[in-house]
Amino acid sequence: MNKLLSEQDLQKEVAALPDELTPQRDLWLGIERAIQVKKQDELSFEPSTKKVFIPTAWAASLVAAVLVTWVSFSPNFSSQPVELVDKNNSPLNLVLAMQENFQQTKQTMLISFGQPKVSDLPKEIQAELTKLSSALNTIEKALLADPNNNDLLNLLRWTQKQELDFLAQLYSPKWQSI
Amino acid sequence: MDNPKVIYMKNRTESQLNTLSELDEEQAIISRAQQGDQQAFYQLYQKYHKKVYAICWRMLADKDSAEDVCQEVFVQLWQKIANFRGESKFSTWLHSVTNNIVLGHLRKHKNWLQRIFSIEDQIIQDVAVEMEDTTGITALDRHIARLPERARLVFVLFAVEGYRHEEISKMLDMAIGTSKAQYHRAKGLLKEWVEI
Repeated sequence: MNKLLSEQDLQKEVAALPDELTPQRDLWLGIERAIQVKKQDELSFEPSTKKVFIPTAWAASLVAAVLVTWVSFSPNFSSQPVELVDKNNSPLNLVLAMQENFQQTKQTMLISFGQPKVSDLPKEIQAELTKLSSALNTIEKALLADPNNNDLLNLLRWTQKQELDFLAQLYSPKWQSI
Repeated sequence: MDNPKVIYMKNRTESQLNTLSELDEEQAIISRAQQGDQQAFYQLYQKYHKKVYAICWRMLADKDSAEDVCQEVFVQLWQKIANFRGESKFSTWLHSVTNNIVLGHLRKHKNWLQRIFSIEDQIIQDVAVEMEDTTGITALDRHIARLPERARLVFVLFAVEGYRHEEISKMLDMAIGTSKAQYHRAKGLLKEWVEI
């Protein structure tokens, strides 16, 4: 039967453990390959997507947070679709004009960039665009129910600008950013 | 593009090594790696990969996982090296990066059976065969690898790597008392297993 190892002997054994072990295979090859892939990814996306992603994610989240708060506490907002009946109402016209202007600017911008496909973008960028678009829809819907709300108008203007800035940075030719 | 391994061997002349002190030389290599110099990064890999592998191997008790995670550490290091500000020794910082990645790997790969039935508390009986492929392991290493997962992690972090139980409890998301208990459990098992 084995005698139990003493505390001291165990400590000696632990102290004698080597602080280096040699792997059986060459790990560098895989590391080098992964680094090359990452470098290529950075080259492909750095000027347009990587730098833009964080502020846009922040913007989309902020819009979402403001909307959740506003929708939760506003008595005027209904989740039902709003009928556009009062077309002579001045604030409502302003909202419609803002929507139209935004769509035109966006379309012109996309044409100038050669009508790029959103599906070619990385998934996280697509998700942020979807979030922005969804935020815009919700603000527009809320404004149609409450067209006199200045805070919502400002939020709509700001969110539209975020989307346009985002698209501009995504698709601007790389030499423009030098 | 030339293989960084070949360039490294060519450039690693005696005179260069003697010109700067070892620490200054390392700082210079780190700075170059931070600027995207892959050859400099390879020098860091050469210097540290066996240490990183030893940490991975002891904590994971599995050769293949240790190799994969060791690679992951250096891939992440390539991306994060710009964050190293020199506030601690590079080796200490790398050690901490390695521990985080190993623990992240363990959390990610814990399957539903382990979560439900606490299989990590079982003693591993048949680990020895896989270990033979790794150069440099001692008899004690083989026994550490047989320890139940939580006891092994605590033992390695406390006795081998020198972390305090307070730190280990945060790293492993357990109470300080549990960390101490697991350490005593590990010691008890190792005292039984190691032949004298």
